[in-house]
Amino acid sequence: MNDSARVLVAHQLHKRFKAQEALRGLSLGVAPGELYGLVGPDGAGKTTALRIMAGVMGPDEGYARIAGKDPLSGDPAVRSMLGYMPQQYSLYGDLSVDENLAFFGKMFCLDKATFSAQRERLLHITRLGRFGDRRADALSGGMYKKLALACSLLPKPRVLLLDEPTNGVDPVSRRELWALLFELVEDGMAVVVSTAYMDEAERCHRVGLLHRGQLLMEGAPTRLMAEHGNAATFEDLFLAAVREAA
Amino acid sequence: MRYFIRTVQAVVRKELRQTFRDKRMAAILFIAPVLQLTLLGFAVDMDVDNVPTLVVDQDRSPASRDLLARMLADATFARTQEGDDPDGPMARGEVSVAVVVPRGYSEDVKKGRPAEIQVLIDGTDPVRAQSAMAGVLEFLTQESLHMATARAVAMAQASGRAVEVPMISVVPRVFYNPSLKSPIYMVPGVAAVVLLVVTTVVTAMSIAREKELGTIEQLLVTPMRPVALLLGKIIPFALLGLIAGGLVIAVGTHVFDVPVRGSVLALFLGMLLYLMSTLGTGVFISTVANNQQQAILGSFFFIMPAILLSGFMSPVENMPEWIQLISRLDPARYFVQILRAVLLKGAGVEDLAGPLLALLTFGVGILALGTLRFRKRVA
Ligand SMILES: Nc1ncnc2c1ncn2[C@@H]1O[C@H](COP(=O)(O)OP(=O)(O)OP(=O)(O)O)[C@@H](O)[C@H]1O
Ligand SMILES: [Mg+2]
Repeated sequence: MNDSARVLVAHQLHKRFKAQEALRGLSLGVAPGELYGLVGPDGAGKTTALRIMAGVMGPDEGYARIAGKDPLSGDPAVRSMLGYMPQQYSLYGDLSVDENLAFFGKMFCLDKATFSAQRERLLHITRLGRFGDRRADALSGGMYKKLALACSLLPKPRVLLLDEPTNGVDPVSRRELWALLFELVEDGMAVVVSTAYMDEAERCHRVGLLHRGQLLMEGAPTRLMAEHGNAATFEDLFLAAVREAA
Repeated sequence: MRYFIRTVQAVVRKELRQTFRDKRMAAILFIAPVLQLTLLGFAVDMDVDNVPTLVVDQDRSPASRDLLARMLADATFARTQEGDDPDGPMARGEVSVAVVVPRGYSEDVKKGRPAEIQVLIDGTDPVRAQSAMAGVLEFLTQESLHMATARAVAMAQASGRAVEVPMISVVPRVFYNPSLKSPIYMVPGVAAVVLLVVTTVVTAMSIAREKELGTIEQLLVTPMRPVALLLGKIIPFALLGLIAGGLVIAVGTHVFDVPVRGSVLALFLGMLLYLMSTLGTGVFISTVANNQQQAILGSFFFIMPAILLSGFMSPVENMPEWIQLISRLDPARYFVQILRAVLLKGAGVEDLAGPLLALLTFGVGILALGTLRFRKRVA
């Protein structure tokens, strides 16, 4: 795949927090309609990578590009192309579902017609419609994640970055969330998901195994399994790779 | 630009909504100021009256009874106890003053000998002790003077001569606060303190909260400009601050009879500039703090010295030279000065150019610094 086909590019990202090297030359590219899984143990640097790609934080070295543009520039055009769902809680717990959507709708600069159309659509696909008046901090873990996803989808982004979206979510909601992701990808969105669940990683078009700020391997799950023929499961494959690197 | 204004509006609305939804926040903003003002206003009432007084009348004569009755007629001293031993009640804190009229007092007076009256004062609270001492001294001096004059007149009449008793009569006129009531002096200071606490803490907290709860992450990926977020945070608290400030002054004028002699325009101009300083400080603190607790702590690092140096309790002129120099950096000092001048002295904008300009300088400076730091940290 050539670079121009990739709507999201990270090139040689380095990031250091005091003594801790969070990223050590991470490069990856994601094409429209592709679901990319960023897998790695705790502290591997997944969140750091996603935050840099979202333009929330700058890298020490390297760069990220969204459709060829720098997400750090603050250019509204880039920001509107980007949806980002942080790992931590990031919505206003004391505001209701509707109020959160309305507020972020305004922050994303949506006009009234676009906003109400988006709101209808997102409430429908996340099945949050009945909970419009409920405070965000009174939602269950799964519903909260769906609301956060809805907020990040408000500007109809071309690139969606999700940091452990299914962490703390029950299996039913997890399945629903993934079904939703596939729909989005089907429509041509480029999606990056970080996860610690191997069954989720296996469903991605491509996965990258991140370990200590570097990619240990990258590729389609089936291809990776074939290349490292001696692993029984996908999980074994990754555990072996991590052990080898240590 | 239209988008900019819309985002500011959205943040203002959200901020107001959250503030009123959060009972604690609303309490900090509205109930606290009035409560603080009322409590502080009464508590710092430094007028000394109703001092609990013990009288020990060892003479038990009509003269001694008459003397004590007249001394206690004034509101300054209140007879709470009678007894023989002044030490116990004072040690227990039951009385602050004890007046002992020794046996032989009336004899001494009648014979024209110097009569002694013992006054014991609890010096734990120096302000109260001094006032009480002054009260006793004044009363007894007047009393001696009357006795001396009466005696001189009697003697003169007995010898058939006319009397002339020389006297200096002092006619004091106290300006600006003629009844010398301390609440009138204190209320402006309390107002400055209340506004400082309310606006600095609330602003710092509300920005730090976005960081603590992680909502700043979601905000940062929107096309919103950091300055719009900042404006959206400052505008509601400036408004609420103005309302709280107006409330404090209203309570001051209605409950404590604080006059408003000067220009209301100068008052609000001063308040607006002062709010710029306190809000700017709040923004600055929020760039250093990572959570609400740090924001509160940081605010008090600024607030405590700002209050102490503001001259709200004791005049700035009485402080050591170098502290006076530091106090020039204290916005509260200028606001207290402006409030007192407007409320008590009837000053207008033109009389207050100096402090108003100082506030403007500080306000613009700290707001600019806070904004720069804020933009750098979030970008
Ligand atoms: N703001 C920060 N300050 C200091 N160190 C940080 C910061 N953010 C991340 N780190 C460190 O960088 C490393 C990578 O962290 P990161 O959060 O990116 O990992 P992660 O893969 O997302 O882990 P997790 O699965 O726990 O979310 C960790 O060692 C972490 O302690
Ligand atoms: Mg993480």
